[in-house]
Amino acid sequence: MGKINIISAVLVGVILLTAPAALAIPAFARKTAFNCAMCHTAFPKLNDFGQRYRDWGYQLPGQEGTEKTVFDPAASPIALRTTPVFTLYNATQPDQGQGDVKGTTVGFNVAGLDLLAGGLLHKNISAFFVYTPRLDVPAAYGGANNATGPSQLGSLESANVVFSNIIYRALNVRAGRFEPAYWPISPRRSYFIFQPYEIYDFGGASALPYGDNQFGLEATGHFRCGFKYGLGVVNGNGGVADNNVNKDVYLNVLKIFGPGDGQSSGQAAGLFGYYGWQPTTFASPIVSPWGELDGGANKPVYRLGGDVSLNWQTLNLRALYLQGFDDMAFNAAAPTEDYKYSGGFAELDWATLANNKLVAAALYNWVTPPSSDESSTVASYAGLARYYLGDWKAVNVALHAEYAYRKTGKAGAVKENITGAAIDVAF
Amino acid sequence: MKKYFLLAGSMLVLCTGGAVPGSNPAPPVTSVDALGVGPQPLGPLPAVTAPATNPQDNAKILLGKQLYFDPRLSADGTVSCATCHSPAHGWSDKGPTSEGIKGQLGGRRAPPVSNAAYNPLQFWDGRAASLEEQAVGPIANPIEMGFTHDACVACLSGIPAYVDAFRDVFGTPYITIEQVGQAIAAYERTVVTTDSPFDRYAKGDNSALTPLEREGLEIFNGKGHCTSCHWGPNFSDGRFHNLGVPQTGPLATDDGRYAITKNSKDKGAFKTPTARDAGARPPYLHTGGEKTLEDVIRFYNKGGGKNANLEPLMVPLGLSEREIKALVAFIEQGLASLNAEVANEPGIPADQLPR
Repeated sequence: MGKINIISAVLVGVILLTAPAALAIPAFARKTAFNCAMCHTAFPKLNDFGQRYRDWGYQLPGQEGTEKTVFDPAASPIALRTTPVFTLYNATQPDQGQGDVKGTTVGFNVAGLDLLAGGLLHKNISAFFVYTPRLDVPAAYGGANNATGPSQLGSLESANVVFSNIIYRALNVRAGRFEPAYWPISPRRSYFIFQPYEIYDFGGASALPYGDNQFGLEATGHFRCGFKYGLGVVNGNGGVADNNVNKDVYLNVLKIFGPGDGQSSGQAAGLFGYYGWQPTTFASPIVSPWGELDGGANKPVYRLGGDVSLNWQTLNLRALYLQGFDDMAFNAAAPTEDYKYSGGFAELDWATLANNKLVAAALYNWVTPPSSDESSTVASYAGLARYYLGDWKAVNVALHAEYAYRKTGKAGAVKENITGAAIDVAF
Repeated sequence: MKKYFLLAGSMLVLCTGGAVPGSNPAPPVTSVDALGVGPQPLGPLPAVTAPATNPQDNAKILLGKQLYFDPRLSADGTVSCATCHSPAHGWSDKGPTSEGIKGQLGGRRAPPVSNAAYNPLQFWDGRAASLEEQAVGPIANPIEMGFTHDACVACLSGIPAYVDAFRDVFGTPYITIEQVGQAIAAYERTVVTTDSPFDRYAKGDNSALTPLEREGLEIFNGKGHCTSCHWGPNFSDGRFHNLGVPQTGPLATDDGRYAITKNSKDKGAFKTPTARDAGARPPYLHTGGEKTLEDVIRFYNKGGGKNANLEPLMVPLGLSEREIKALVAFIEQGLASLNAEVANEPGIPADQLPR
């Protein structure tokens, strides 16, 4: 039972710590008086219009310079999101010589609280913030107790400034902590609360949080022909202080085919690449005022892949394939081999009823680690339904039900499933 | 420690008019500056206020109405303002594009006069900054009314009852084209369509809209993306957009707003008309190319037309048949004005016009 407790505690921790940030922005809805469905296929997933709103630096596409700024008293730039959840969690773990160990937990939790602020400061200058205050530490939590762990006081999940249309649509710049633009498929706008996109944060011991928001500087462009790019220089450690002088770089490119923006109409195909370095030694105990260490002997890590988003009526099929590489220095299981892995996911979303009040989605994740680390093999299946109540201005209340099954490892696999219900509230 | 303070300090530095008496409740003319405020909530129309340079009074409004319905403002005495902006056709015409003197076809459909008082700029391309300027434009357009301003004034000056009326209203012994424009504009500021089921609903009468119309309203402001342009009390942003409308009618090409601004961004862009009473004035778009409301919603549903300068606001909507039906119901019935005296203004018969 001890192992099961740890597994369940870790799972709860994962839910609490990785709950997708609220990127449905009621503050924007209040400012524009639009219904949330203007920008979201269903909150929090962006539709084509919402994607363009983001592309334009939180301005109406093509209408820059003609909107209220955050200084307008009628456009309060603050919003909140929280998600009370109820979960039923089952796990089965083979225990050599003792048969399977089984366990069940039932619990109420809150999958995070997000304080959001964002808006236009001036024509073509905007800012965006997401602050996630501390969540109480689960009693049995056995995970990290550091800047990413639950003992943190809070996290500035997003804090960035955007300069839009510097060279018409071809150059926009974002600085601060942000989600990289044209992220293959945004983990922060997923309908799934209990089942993450596994491949993003998989890897060896490099601790590259590929799925996390990054500190850095990014240039983006979006063109009439449907081509988009996001080119960034980032620390590469997500919300944690970086520990080496090398900065990481990424390039995401996307092409839209047909009318629309590939989110809710048209078809999109993208390629992405990320190359970075992680330290393996530390020369001295020097710590900068920002918490950085002077790591050295940096070893490379990279991620490469492609993704598609295919739309037909209100069906959206999204799939992603990623190949990961971590230098052998980060391969704890087989230190003489580079840690090479692959995986991805496929997700089918369906929205129906007036203004897409009902959403159903299915998600399959797979991860294939190197043969030296077969126990990290992942296959998971998840399905959900969400129903959005009412048509209240700048308020989202969604009733959410989700089931996820996850199998980790090959021989002697750990099998888990979670049935969750949630109320997703943002206002 | 000192070094750290210095470092932290460095980083901090781095980071650091009055309502019209009688007549219809009338709105203030939205100034061009209003283009800068961005989307406004849907809601009942505010009262109109007239510009200080052209205050409203009942005599002026009556004179303007007489002029509006008088075909003698055209070169051959056959076309009045009301010919193309007819109350019977939702203050537009039967289309697809408007017909002027001698059966000449205009290149665009007549935009509605109803609620034009709320438009920051007039005409499809916004070439007139006021109703006063707009009102006299068609008189001198060779395809529309085919007169010159001087000839029009001479014609009116030969009608004693008009001479008396202009003298009473403006206090001058002669008529000017500016006065003609002011009088017509004063009348047009009373052509305000209010009291639709939506207005009643917005004021708290939940039964004013049917469930289907309420659903349509929700879609109008959400998945239908209608309010990305048709926002505010007048259901119009007063701005100019290229929807990729296929060119039809007598013009081979039409640059729209670009012809005025010479800004390439405006190429093929036309002003957003009010969606109020849209059900009363088919066909739709500036070419009249879409015959029914359902047709025009289907046009938007596919993301508009193809155009190199297509407005980035235009994206396919993914509306279902049910959602299209709900949108049509909301626009057709929910936005239909119930103030019959404006929606069905009878006009002035020729034998009752000033002599």
